[in-house]
Amino acid sequence: MLSYVLAGLGLGSIYAIAAGSLVITYVASGIFNLAFAAMAYSVARFYYFLLVEEDWAIVPAAAVSLLVFAPALGMFLYAVLFRHLRLRSTLVKLMATVGLSVALPPLVNLWLEQPTDPTAPGLAPRPLATYDVFGSTINADQLTTYIGLVVVLVIGVGLLRFTNVGLKVRALVDSEALTSLSGTSPGKVSLGVWAASAMLAGLAGILIAPTAGLSVGSMTFLMSAAFAAVVAAKLRSLPLAVGVALLMGVATNVVQKYIDPSSEFGAAVVPSIPFAFMLLFLLFYAVRGQAGDLVAGGALDRAIATQGGDPTVVSAVAGGSNRRFLNPGVLAGVVIVGIVFMLPGQLDRFWSGLVAGGIALGIALLSYTLVTGEGGMVWLSQITFAGGGAVLAAELVRNWGWDPLVAVLVGAAFIVPVGVILGLLTIRLGNLYIALVTLTFGSLIQVLVFGRNPFYNFGSGQPMPRPAFADTNDDFAYLALGVFCVLAILIVNVRRSTAGLAMSAVRFSENGAKTLGISVVQTKVLVSGLATYTAAVGGGFIAMNAQSTLPDSFNPAVGLIWLAVLVTMGSRSIIAALIAGCLFVVMPQVFSTYVSSDYADVPVILFGLGALGLALHPEGVVAQTGNNIMKLFGRRKPPLGASVPPGSPGASGPSTGASDGPAPAPASRGEAATITAGGQA
Amino acid sequence: MSTALHATEGAARDTAAPRLEARGVTVRFGGLVANKEVDLAVGSQQIVGLVGPNGAGKSTLFAVLSGLLRPTAGQVFMDGEDVTGTSPQKRAARGLARTFQHPELFSSLTVREHLVLAYRMKNAKSRIWTDLVNFRGFASAPKAEDARVDELVDALQLGAIQHLPAAGLPLGSARLLEIARALAREPRVLLLDEPSSGLDVRETEEVAEVLKSVVRDHGVSVLMVEHDVELVLGMSDAVHVLDFGVKIAGGTPAEVRRDPAVRAAYLGEEIEKPDVQRAEAEIEQGELA
Repeated sequence: MLSYVLAGLGLGSIYAIAAGSLVITYVASGIFNLAFAAMAYSVARFYYFLLVEEDWAIVPAAAVSLLVFAPALGMFLYAVLFRHLRLRSTLVKLMATVGLSVALPPLVNLWLEQPTDPTAPGLAPRPLATYDVFGSTINADQLTTYIGLVVVLVIGVGLLRFTNVGLKVRALVDSEALTSLSGTSPGKVSLGVWAASAMLAGLAGILIAPTAGLSVGSMTFLMSAAFAAVVAAKLRSLPLAVGVALLMGVATNVVQKYIDPSSEFGAAVVPSIPFAFMLLFLLFYAVRGQAGDLVAGGALDRAIATQGGDPTVVSAVAGGSNRRFLNPGVLAGVVIVGIVFMLPGQLDRFWSGLVAGGIALGIALLSYTLVTGEGGMVWLSQITFAGGGAVLAAELVRNWGWDPLVAVLVGAAFIVPVGVILGLLTIRLGNLYIALVTLTFGSLIQVLVFGRNPFYNFGSGQPMPRPAFADTNDDFAYLALGVFCVLAILIVNVRRSTAGLAMSAVRFSENGAKTLGISVVQTKVLVSGLATYTAAVGGGFIAMNAQSTLPDSFNPAVGLIWLAVLVTMGSRSIIAALIAGCLFVVMPQVFSTYVSSDYADVPVILFGLGALGLALHPEGVVAQTGNNIMKLFGRRKPPLGASVPPGSPGASGPSTGASDGPAPAPASRGEAATITAGGQA
Repeated sequence: MSTALHATEGAARDTAAPRLEARGVTVRFGGLVANKEVDLAVGSQQIVGLVGPNGAGKSTLFAVLSGLLRPTAGQVFMDGEDVTGTSPQKRAARGLARTFQHPELFSSLTVREHLVLAYRMKNAKSRIWTDLVNFRGFASAPKAEDARVDELVDALQLGAIQHLPAAGLPLGSARLLEIARALAREPRVLLLDEPSSGLDVRETEEVAEVLKSVVRDHGVSVLMVEHDVELVLGMSDAVHVLDFGVKIAGGTPAEVRRDPAVRAAYLGEEIEKPDVQRAEAEIEQGELA
């Protein structure tokens, strides 16, 4: 038993370092760093480069990686990204860190290339020494992990509690503005916090590499397990985060004493333990009504915010105000659909197949348009619903002899209750918790369902034929485009309907909506259900296009890239989903074919960087381009409301903000008018 | 401003019980007592003012009355029925509407859409579901809805901004929009949290006229938190004063004006100086005694 506990403490220590770092950076910056695994991978990859590829000794390689490279990375990311995010809404913060998590690893691989050997050495010298502890054996890697945790805790707690630096960090947590007024530079303190956070991420990455491997996927999986401890700590309590992390590590290993991890059952249970922890704590907090997002900054910070309000608010305005049926956005959308319609006929079989795949993905991405664009919720499990739709449709075709198209359209309805239940469970949670729960749910389903036989089938999944009348790539592309258009019209109808108005109301002010008599639960369940159905239909089409369910295509890590590419194009724009789907599928192939296969990841980097740009342009490329075009026309003819109508009520009064963002939005009417021009297709 | 507002459904209904009543409402946040055994009643066609300094517990009481907050103790009644445990939505269905100290607007909706939504929540709530299947999102608005929304737009002078989104509206416009939205709900009881904040003198007077008209002509009852003490005393049938969560005075405006403690503590220079000095003298005498 002791050997299981000791091994578990090793795993728990890595969880604890990750969880502790996430908590510290969250309370100090208000940002939950979903890119933690990407940062861990980047530093670990750099350490591997020095240690293995450049033949450095362990100590200098570790020192340069952890004391030079990691802090520099953290400070660079603070300078270009995190400093812009502090007073943004949870939605923008999450999207920006999702973008970073997508862009950073391929950027590092572009620089240092993919590691040749995924089993990287840790901080202990090779060959590994072993030690006898009360009759049980631990190796040097485990010992360095324990030491790593102790050092981090002693230095971290010591710094935070007993030093002037710690005092400044804690002051910054409460109010950046007041900290600034007291003579402390909030920028310098934040710079230090992010440098330290990157160091901890790097330490966790280096320590975890020997057991989990030097890959983004394995680190993402293990770090998302650490999210459980962060949730248990309600994102704020460092001791609780560390304690639960250690407990999870021990539980994960002790269970293996009683359940064979190589058995079918054990292989499902063991990796699920951290997620079970998370769900238990989430349910506990949700029932007690204690789960909510932390609002960064004090009243003064919000009062003096000068960015013109939260960009998500402004972004939303771009779509909400233009409900005329034939607005410029709709016309642009029709043109783009027309172009996509003509593509299959002009391309050879290979490329038209890619376009068909892109349209199929566009259908799935419409689910984000609903749940994130309309509902304002960050769901990271849409790809899981898509996978569910694909798997279920394939089962209906294979076992029940259903027509593939009917199986996809009807089978998707059976996935809806799953989304609705998830929606009901998360209704009382803040946006950040919703993101964590849905990501966890996706990871669980990946392990428990998609990764198991008969669904996995050595990665090829189950066969999923196309409908007989759309067997060729061209015909299938037209079918997919037809379904996309039908769903697009349905979504436009939702947006223009009373339900759409109610969704906007709930998104921006739950209290305001409640006092009008709108049921927040009903509205959110409606969004959840519609988005789940759309995702499942999209998954079915992706499977039909590939003629197989391809379970690895529905990994939550891939879902982050889906989301990144969609928000790059525009989370509220329907036509952006079509463009995003086509770009996601076609662009890597374009780079591989016409540039070099070495640059196949460049589109992913661009998508990630695009999502990073959300902090400045949350409306996305499509709406932004539309707005820019409309501004050109606007120079000739001022759009409605470009100036304050003389004598209109309150025209001279102070501005008021929207409740979705933390800052009162001192946007002028001119700003509001500018962003309404483009509309959303 | 036009005061041609429709009669509210059920406005004529009158009962002996107050439209809205708080009995012994206590709200504690840990060790902090935000409201302590507060009693208050708003009768039919009454305008009742609620005043007190910052932190007196006025907004907390509003949250309790509108159902956004459950009291630690005490009860809330509407038309004599206990609604303490009911949701804000159910209270809205019973005819309660409110505005907020910090306007709770729906940023992506236009001014007009706010009123359309509020109107439909009162008159066509099932459209949340039916619009999805009968594609009424693409249809024109019903004439009655358009007419009602137009009336409110005219009454609150929102015509010039009716197609602008709420995000970025100046505070004064936001206040008027919130009032219009609450009226679009055709309420029987209207809770107004600092309705004149952000409005200039002329706008404040016009809002006051609109409120008087809905009370006089359509039987709406109003409970109003307001820092403009003269506005409250000038408009209200009754005024209640809160201090540190405790109701320290209540009665007609004249009675509250005369209350020395209220005058000394809350009204200060708002009332003629001699009265304040007299009140202070009375307090001093009381302390000496």
